[in-house]
Amino acid sequence: MIAGRWEQLQSKSFLESNARERAIGLADSGTFTELAGPRHRISSPHLPLMGEAVEFDDGIVTGVGLMGNKPLFIASQEGRFIGGSVGEVHGAKLVNIVRMARNSHDRMLAANPALPEEKRPAVVISFETGGVRLHEANAGLLAHAELMDQFQDCQGKVPIIALIGSKVGCFGGMGFAAAAADTIIMSQFGRLGLTGPEVIEEEMGKDEFDASDRALVYRTTGGRHKYIMGDCNLLVADSIAAFRDALRGVLAKPHAEISAMRRIGSLEKVLHQLRLVALCVKLAPRDSRDVWKYAGNGSPDELADMDFDTFLKTAERLVIDDREG
Amino acid sequence: MAKQLHELNLEFKAENPAKFPSDFLHYGVVGSGDMEAIMEKKELGGAVTVKVVTPVTGYDEVWRRVLERFVNDTGIADASIEINDNNSTPVVVSLRLRQALAEIAGGGA
Repeated sequence: MIAGRWEQLQSKSFLESNARERAIGLADSGTFTELAGPRHRISSPHLPLMGEAVEFDDGIVTGVGLMGNKPLFIASQEGRFIGGSVGEVHGAKLVNIVRMARNSHDRMLAANPALPEEKRPAVVISFETGGVRLHEANAGLLAHAELMDQFQDCQGKVPIIALIGSKVGCFGGMGFAAAAADTIIMSQFGRLGLTGPEVIEEEMGKDEFDASDRALVYRTTGGRHKYIMGDCNLLVADSIAAFRDALRGVLAKPHAEISAMRRIGSLEKVLHQLRLVALCVKLAPRDSRDVWKYAGNGSPDELADMDFDTFLKTAERLVIDDREG
Repeated sequence: MAKQLHELNLEFKAENPAKFPSDFLHYGVVGSGDMEAIMEKKELGGAVTVKVVTPVTGYDEVWRRVLERFVNDTGIADASIEINDNNSTPVVVSLRLRQALAEIAGGGA
């Protein structure tokens, strides 16, 4: 709206930014247009019946923007509203922005089969969520399934880039969804997993996992660990500009190269994951540091604490030999 | 009995009305102990309508006082305000509404 605002957002901490700031800041200056935003007042129809507070955007910002010549279809989750959880409206907005990207892709290619890749649409999702919103769990679960369907249909057409660097992290069913994206970009403050730390502790006890041990939580679910394990493709500094630069770098690659960054989606990818599981069974690590050490990091204790730039220069990432049986 | 969200509809008229400087404004996140507001220009003969949706009951008089003070202090007129609240304290309500207005003045997105 006012000149200078977008520039201010660029240097802002990604961790500290709300969903709308991330969405606006990731696209080129002045290009983000929100769809189904607060103005439309599409809030949850279920929460009022339970006496729970509602939000005009149901905890997610969706819209379109540009990165150079490339149309970006952006979704950005707001962790401060019920933990960024996926309810019916939230889920529908998320699913439909991906659907819109694919429909746009199909229409653009039908009109111009020679459309260069740099002008073809991409999906960017800034995850901040614990997964299904338990208050409207059936609708939330269905949205997860629909989203996975959309991701599948986008394969080979529209790249899907996951960004994880917000307070709540990316957990629950949305952890699966992020893992099914083409590329995952994280900051060291991002956390990615299926069952969240608190839930593990509640189910298995404090001896199994102490959710109040921040260092443990971060070296198990945090960006540094995910980077070493190959669960995320890129690890970036904690600013909107850093995420945006990494995003631009990824989207500048040929689509085939972006697809090659996936974790799943082909027989080879699945076999790779199974070899990783087999390795972990063989190693029987007591702590993520055991795996870091196996990956070639001589002093794993220092990895968690060293400053970010040194970490990026120093850390050895886990290499799985795909030639083995 | 299932409890429902509480809805409050109020109307005020500023003692020294000023022009509302924006067609549409959205500010805030409905976090725990926090709220969001939409402020929209609306021809109301100088009045301001406020709709509050909140899980909290029994504080209607506090809402009225906080909002009345906001309207009088800022001179906001001919505007419709809608608030989604999740257990904000009166201080937070007051602060968020002023921050929302400051967004217009200071250059919000």
